[in-house]
Amino acid sequence: MGTATETFYSVIRRQGITRRSFHKFCSLTATSLGLGPLAAGRIANALETKPRVPVIWMHGLECTCCSESFIRSAHPLVKDAVLSMISLDYDDTIMAAAGHQAEAILDETRAKHKGQYILAVEGNPPLNEGGMFCIDGGKPFVEKLKLMAEDAMAIIAWGACASWGCVQAAKPNPTQATPIDKVITNKPIIKVPGCPPIAEVMTGVVTFITTFGKLPELDRQGRPKMFYSQRIHDKCYRRPHFDAGQFVEEWDDEAARKGYCLYKMGCKGPTTYNACSTVRWNGGVSFPIQSGHGCIGCSEDGFWDKGSFYDRLTTIKQFGIEKNADQIGMAAAGAVGAAVAAHAAVTAVKRLASKREDVDHNS
Amino acid sequence: MTRITIGPFNRVEGDLEVRLDVESGRVMRAEVTAPLYRGFEQILEGRPPLDALALAPRICGICSVSQSVAAAAALREAMAIEAAPNGLLATNIAHAAENAADHLTHFYIFFMPDFAREAYASHGWHAATRERFAATRGSAARDALPARARLLETMGIIAGKWPHSLAFQPGGTTRAIDLGERVRLLSITTAFRSFLERIVFADSLENVLTIASADELDRWRDGRGGDFAHFLRLADSLALSALGRGTGLMMSYGAYHGSDGELFPRGLFGPRAATEPLPLTQITEDVSHAWMRESSVDPAHSSTVPDPDKPAAYSWCKAPRLSGQSIEVGAIARQTVAGQALIADLVSVSGTNVRNRVIARLIETARIALAMEQWTRALRLSEPFCHNSRDIPNGSYVGLVEAARGSLGHWMAVRDGRIERYQIIAPTTWNFSPRDSFDVGGPLEQALVGTDVGDAGARAVAIQHIVRSFDPCMVCTAH
Repeated sequence: MGTATETFYSVIRRQGITRRSFHKFCSLTATSLGLGPLAAGRIANALETKPRVPVIWMHGLECTCCSESFIRSAHPLVKDAVLSMISLDYDDTIMAAAGHQAEAILDETRAKHKGQYILAVEGNPPLNEGGMFCIDGGKPFVEKLKLMAEDAMAIIAWGACASWGCVQAAKPNPTQATPIDKVITNKPIIKVPGCPPIAEVMTGVVTFITTFGKLPELDRQGRPKMFYSQRIHDKCYRRPHFDAGQFVEEWDDEAARKGYCLYKMGCKGPTTYNACSTVRWNGGVSFPIQSGHGCIGCSEDGFWDKGSFYDRLTTIKQFGIEKNADQIGMAAAGAVGAAVAAHAAVTAVKRLASKREDVDHNS
Repeated sequence: MTRITIGPFNRVEGDLEVRLDVESGRVMRAEVTAPLYRGFEQILEGRPPLDALALAPRICGICSVSQSVAAAAALREAMAIEAAPNGLLATNIAHAAENAADHLTHFYIFFMPDFAREAYASHGWHAATRERFAATRGSAARDALPARARLLETMGIIAGKWPHSLAFQPGGTTRAIDLGERVRLLSITTAFRSFLERIVFADSLENVLTIASADELDRWRDGRGGDFAHFLRLADSLALSALGRGTGLMMSYGAYHGSDGELFPRGLFGPRAATEPLPLTQITEDVSHAWMRESSVDPAHSSTVPDPDKPAAYSWCKAPRLSGQSIEVGAIARQTVAGQALIADLVSVSGTNVRNRVIARLIETARIALAMEQWTRALRLSEPFCHNSRDIPNGSYVGLVEAARGSLGHWMAVRDGRIERYQIIAPTTWNFSPRDSFDVGGPLEQALVGTDVGDAGARAVAIQHIVRSFDPCMVCTAH
């Protein structure tokens, strides 16, 4: 544990990180947050002068995929973000202390940084049977969560579990797994959904909060706008094939080898707000659609109970620039299907329209 | 007799509590509690069978490929298809990357930091160990975490995203690897080999794998750098080979399937200290000490219904047994069953214990690093990566794989296009199982009995070593 007067900069310098790496970190962070080049200086200044904001990271009912994602963030300094910047003053998985010693650190941090710390919550509390499905240190997790939330400045809800409930809340929700904003109602909560969220999105959010001492701008659902304002579909590299009506019909078929659209394989990209198609995964290497599988919409509320992940929309007719707009069929196969079909049709019509204009201009 | 409770544990995956009855500084009885339950088996019932491919991996953010591959194997049996050879290879590469990453995490992040504790300050190796392995401050994490992250870029190429990948299907993988990607995969495996050879072993992997006996290992270790040799010296100084002894019964479902069998074969290392065929039909689950309602003991026919008020119960984990016996699973079981020379010799000398479990993980890591290179070269890029079928008839199916931590099985019953029943027995379900109706404990419970905790009670470091030597994954355990 560091002291309250320690800065991020002093911690990383002590760990042998160069000033050059530090500045690189600041500019990359500024870029990933969409803040423009001037913000890099502000971030650097804040990290050099402001006391480090303590972050307490807690695990409820969960699978630890959020932590897993976080520690593999691509940026070279991020491991130091894990190990020192937010310091994970209390983290169940990687910290050194064990047992009641760990519980004591939790109490101490709460008292010492009252009203100043960020509570990062991975997983959620199950409420059935008095919370008995997630017992931590002899007490239901929900009690520990409420206690720690009381003195927190703000709360980060990591992942789909903390934000929405996720698959453990899928019907019949045996443990009554409950998103944290249903349990904590008097604190600002920032939702960072996804199962798990993208590492760079997580570090971006943490860096913003620790740098500026406030939450970034949120949308109506409580998500940071900078990462969740666009659909996967909007920036998908397979989008031209969607517009052209070129679809994969089976895994690894000829169309798949050509990189056609996965919409017919159940892809939920058109209705999913997340940064996967821009930031990508595992160090920017790829994302689910690039691996040839559709998006399952894991950052959307209720994605686990919206019918099969592989529902094929077979009733939709082929559409695209090869066909006349009048021939474009629209069929509803569930709400998603209807919305997507309408959207696809509109796109195709637009394309046709602009093509006709081109033709007119040229003739 | 005093009863002490240890928990929550840090640096294990998920939540864990251990209760010990101690007399004259010695553990007489141990009870292991999995305090976390989510109900995946209940959630899977009634859903389309293919949805298991998206739901099952979410049991665990650490072993998610193992869970995917087990679900895919059960579905493959249901579809009665053969996977495309390329698909098997690509699956093996990704699965090996996950398992090797787990072994590294265990060694560097979860297990070794305990030796940096002040309790060991009087030992000659302590200062170097603290500098290298102290939790969150040691220099080793700065080597291991980037190496691990780089290794897991494999997931980006094959599986799109990790954890919770979607590319693993019954008939193979969803996407063909192209030439450029194969080159990238090779550069990842080369970088991983280089990390192992420079940092972990301070020797070539081929050389490490020629070590065939305990004596040869001692000679190899002397004067050698690297974190593995450092561990071996420390293990000798603390007699870790006498700590956390298992019963010696071990099994493996067989790991890394290929068109011509498995890299590590299936088998039971039985009471006669030899490898025998594995009697799969003898797998049962006992709920006498689990907060679960009685059901069939056969995982193919049982269901999971919580019973939180059950007297005598103390865990959400059921007690799996093979022919009525509790069985140890994990890298040590896989390598013993596979007859890996060094591990077989170590087990014949001192059985399963804290030291040998750790050695087995690192030796296995060396073996799979080499296998990853071969699998990557064996891909035939112009041939299919996936065979397709949508036909899932009524019936009972099983998918058996080896996760990093040991044997993982999915039992699935399908009726009229829906999942009728789903049962999962995970590696730590075996290792950290509670007692059965004969009052026989699981492998950890048995391994803890007889441990000397002295006056330290709940603070005894020996307990931490024994518990972590199994590399528990508690979120998989009770799921």
